[in-house]
Amino acid sequence: MNNKNISRSLAVFTILALAMIIAPAATSFPTGVSGVKDSGCNCHGAIPSDTVTPMVEGLPEIYNYSETYTVTVSFTGGPTDSGNINQGGFNLWISYGTIAVLDSTVQSFADNEVGHTEAGNDQTSWTVEWTAPANDKNIKFTLTTNSVNGDAGSGSGSSGDEWNRVSGSVSAPVEVIESANPFTVLATLIIVSLVLLVITLTYIFYRTSPDAFDWEQFGPWIAGWVTSTDHKKVGTLYLVSGLFFLGIGGIMALMIRIQLAVPGNDFLTQDQYNQFFTMHGTTMIFLAAMPLINALANWIVPLQIGAPDLALPRLNAMSFWLQPISAILLFTGIFSGGAADTGWTGYAPYVVSETAHSGTTMWVAGQIMLVASSTLTGINFLTTILVMRAKGMGLMQMPLFTWSIFISNLMLFISIPAFGVGLIEVYLDRVIGTAFYTIDAGGDPLLWSHLFWYFGHPEVYVVIVPAFGVISEVIATSARRSIFGYRSMVYAMAGIGLVSFIVYGHHMFTSGMDPSFRFVMMMTTMLVAVPTGIKIFNWLKTMHGGSLVYRTHTLWALGFLLTFTLGGISGMFFPSIAMDLHLHETYFVIAHFHYVFVGGTVFGIFTALYYWFPKMSGKMLDERLGTLHFLTAFVSYNALFWPMHRLGVVGMARRHHTYFISGEDVLGALPAEYADWNLFISINAFLFFLSTFILVANIIISLIRGQDAPADPWGGWSFEWMTDSPPPTPSFPLDNLPVLRDANEHIANEPSKLGAWFNRLMVADEEVNN
Amino acid sequence: MTVTSTLFFDLWDEFMLWSIFVGVFTFGWLYHHSVTYRSKEGEELPNVDEIEVGVFPKENDDLRLEVAWTILPFILIVYLTYISWAPVDAVWTSAEGGNHGFECEAGYYSNNVMDSENGFVTSDCYHIVEVTGKQWAWTFECNPDIEVTDRTYELSTDICDTGTYQVEGYGMQPSISLKAGETYLLVMESEDVTHAPWFIELGVKEDVLKNQKTTMWLPITSTGEGLILCTEYCGDAHSVMAGVLIAHD
Repeated sequence: MNNKNISRSLAVFTILALAMIIAPAATSFPTGVSGVKDSGCNCHGAIPSDTVTPMVEGLPEIYNYSETYTVTVSFTGGPTDSGNINQGGFNLWISYGTIAVLDSTVQSFADNEVGHTEAGNDQTSWTVEWTAPANDKNIKFTLTTNSVNGDAGSGSGSSGDEWNRVSGSVSAPVEVIESANPFTVLATLIIVSLVLLVITLTYIFYRTSPDAFDWEQFGPWIAGWVTSTDHKKVGTLYLVSGLFFLGIGGIMALMIRIQLAVPGNDFLTQDQYNQFFTMHGTTMIFLAAMPLINALANWIVPLQIGAPDLALPRLNAMSFWLQPISAILLFTGIFSGGAADTGWTGYAPYVVSETAHSGTTMWVAGQIMLVASSTLTGINFLTTILVMRAKGMGLMQMPLFTWSIFISNLMLFISIPAFGVGLIEVYLDRVIGTAFYTIDAGGDPLLWSHLFWYFGHPEVYVVIVPAFGVISEVIATSARRSIFGYRSMVYAMAGIGLVSFIVYGHHMFTSGMDPSFRFVMMMTTMLVAVPTGIKIFNWLKTMHGGSLVYRTHTLWALGFLLTFTLGGISGMFFPSIAMDLHLHETYFVIAHFHYVFVGGTVFGIFTALYYWFPKMSGKMLDERLGTLHFLTAFVSYNALFWPMHRLGVVGMARRHHTYFISGEDVLGALPAEYADWNLFISINAFLFFLSTFILVANIIISLIRGQDAPADPWGGWSFEWMTDSPPPTPSFPLDNLPVLRDANEHIANEPSKLGAWFNRLMVADEEVNN
Repeated sequence: MTVTSTLFFDLWDEFMLWSIFVGVFTFGWLYHHSVTYRSKEGEELPNVDEIEVGVFPKENDDLRLEVAWTILPFILIVYLTYISWAPVDAVWTSAEGGNHGFECEAGYYSNNVMDSENGFVTSDCYHIVEVTGKQWAWTFECNPDIEVTDRTYELSTDICDTGTYQVEGYGMQPSISLKAGETYLLVMESEDVTHAPWFIELGVKEDVLKNQKTTMWLPITSTGEGLILCTEYCGDAHSVMAGVLIAHD
């Protein structure tokens, strides 16, 4: 590209950037401009001659319950006009209790706010009665002089007639400890977690190389991580950020569970609750599950296929660095108190309506960046797996984990553009007033549902299929066997990938979509059970005749088989439409997808961590701590999510910030015993959250003083076990790439006709000519 | 009133039966293999398939088995689809001569009966009632405009009446009283964003959209009172957007 083109591109880019900056300012959503009330009192143009001193008399220091106090408000100073006209006015606000008006010089604006009237404009002292609340409150009051509209937005928002003000407080008979704003709690926890993460990383850096611990070494060390394009380092970055956001998403889940622990709870307001479940979903899917899977893919795929690195290492680093930046955008709302409150599905037209929070715009922008990141990742892994496999490794000799990453990236690459299109439409609707989803202008809310779920359903499989790959590796290695039915495993994964695109309508059975389309989706959705069943039975058969070695990763893999099968079975209830009409949007759905996401994806990721950690770090993890982690997590996990199935059937709707209990004479959503189940669930949520720290402790302890890991601690066959632990960079020497041999000589290196044709498409021209 | 939808529970029982069957089979197998085929303490790690690093392992498959557990689950899901078919037809039956006939003329009653063989309800005719959702309240209308129904007479308050009802925690909420034995077709629309009324006890819900009418059948077969909740997220007060269904004799 010559200089002219570069400057042209820069100019276009600058204009686009400017347009994006200006556009939101032009028509951004009116969520209230300021707190200015109707115009202030302009009845007294006089300027005070002296310093105005406001006074409040009659308010106690400590109030008695429900007692009435006579309060006199007055001021000194003010206009010297002795004609007794337009002497000034006042506004008195007391945070709790009620203020009663005694005469015509005072008017009431609210139970707890009064001001002067036209008649009261000619004096400097007024009397009212204040009745204290009947319970304990920390009470604040503010008196403003002259300005009848009171606190008209301090500073620039003022209508300019305020002379002076005085504020104070009244204490309750019993001291009240103010409860913290949950957003403050969450924001604090996020910051504390971040600080702890930095301290932990620094400590590990110190312990692993105490001699190099000074600023001169630290700078290059950090720079090395930030600028690295090595697939192993980027993988570690994904791992650390994924675990960090798993913790953040977990904290949000805990706050949701505190709110739901007892019926009618007010720990979170409705508004806060809506933001917490939205951010919990978005964080867990996009900032925890996806990065953790990318961590494994980055680390293991090049090693498994015998490649020195990914095909496009710089693109890979960019894929990663888009994520923390988009995380900042997604979380902007939390730190400003107005995060997205749309649910992770962001259904139109709510997402573009004025009632949705302003933070939604940044949330959408963040997700657009995540779409970009995922697309780049998709390109990268598809390319790497297709063109950089070692000699001797045909497509049908790839390790199953690599196959799973190949299929999930293919699904992601095909589905995520639809999501990107939808997000850009929503973004434009929100910032420059286009009308993709504005119904009055002909927009279509179902369009969003289609675009979202066309991506959303494959996305669910994008995060579960890599777990299938992990389990295939671990079960086979632990049983000391070849995986049973390698081919049917590959076909089953490909089948799931294919079916994932034609089942998404089952999320929309109640949506008002054409019934015949819903009916087709019912039948395709039922089909998902077939390839999933094949995989489960193949795993079980793999153990047959083997010799199962019980390690931590074996336990996790067996646990996965149990929980994922349960999640799969409960999934079979939804395609039966007459049942789905009851179960849709209830806790039965919550139970089902947490069984698949946590019992499937997260358990799969834990399995992989225990399995490949020695390869990644060169240190063995502690087996006793690992077993303890498995036992505590497995028990608390099931106790946490299993009762939710029943809650959904009896009437607990999801995304509801509270629930009420039916009694003898009162009508509520849930029968009485289900309050206890909710408390039980909340307690187990804490236990499950805490159990994860055993894993974190295990990792830290192992990094500091773990045993050195051999190259092949578990007896696997694929290439990653050939390299040292940890592997060198580049992972395999460029002049001595490994070559795969095949124990099945009759088919070795003989691709089928289809495979040969496919290979011809994929191999670079120079290589063909050679 | 607890969840009383026969349609739902007939299907639920059948699906539970097969779930338990599949669960027992799979977990029995899992338990058996993880106990039987475990490596013995102190034994040198065996290597059943002579696995070696850098060598694609020996094939371990059995076409008959793999085909078997492709075909058998397929037969099961074909069966589950088959038994789900009639209920789908029942919940989405046609308003023009389906299970509930045509809209009732003046003075006629639905006289709905449970078809015990199939588990769903049939009626002589039905009454149209309008439901409107907005942020954050339901409105029920027994005698909607001409664009919703062709009806030329007003429903008696015995068949349909609206009012308010004090609900625990939710405060005063709109209610609709319907008569047991009558069948209603709800014609629904939203004034703003998407909502969805969930008649918990009847086990049905359907989205309510702006500028698009959706419909839902409400055959009332027993008496009692039940809650209606919003089950399509609609913003701030979504969780307290409730209503009450009163089914009387």
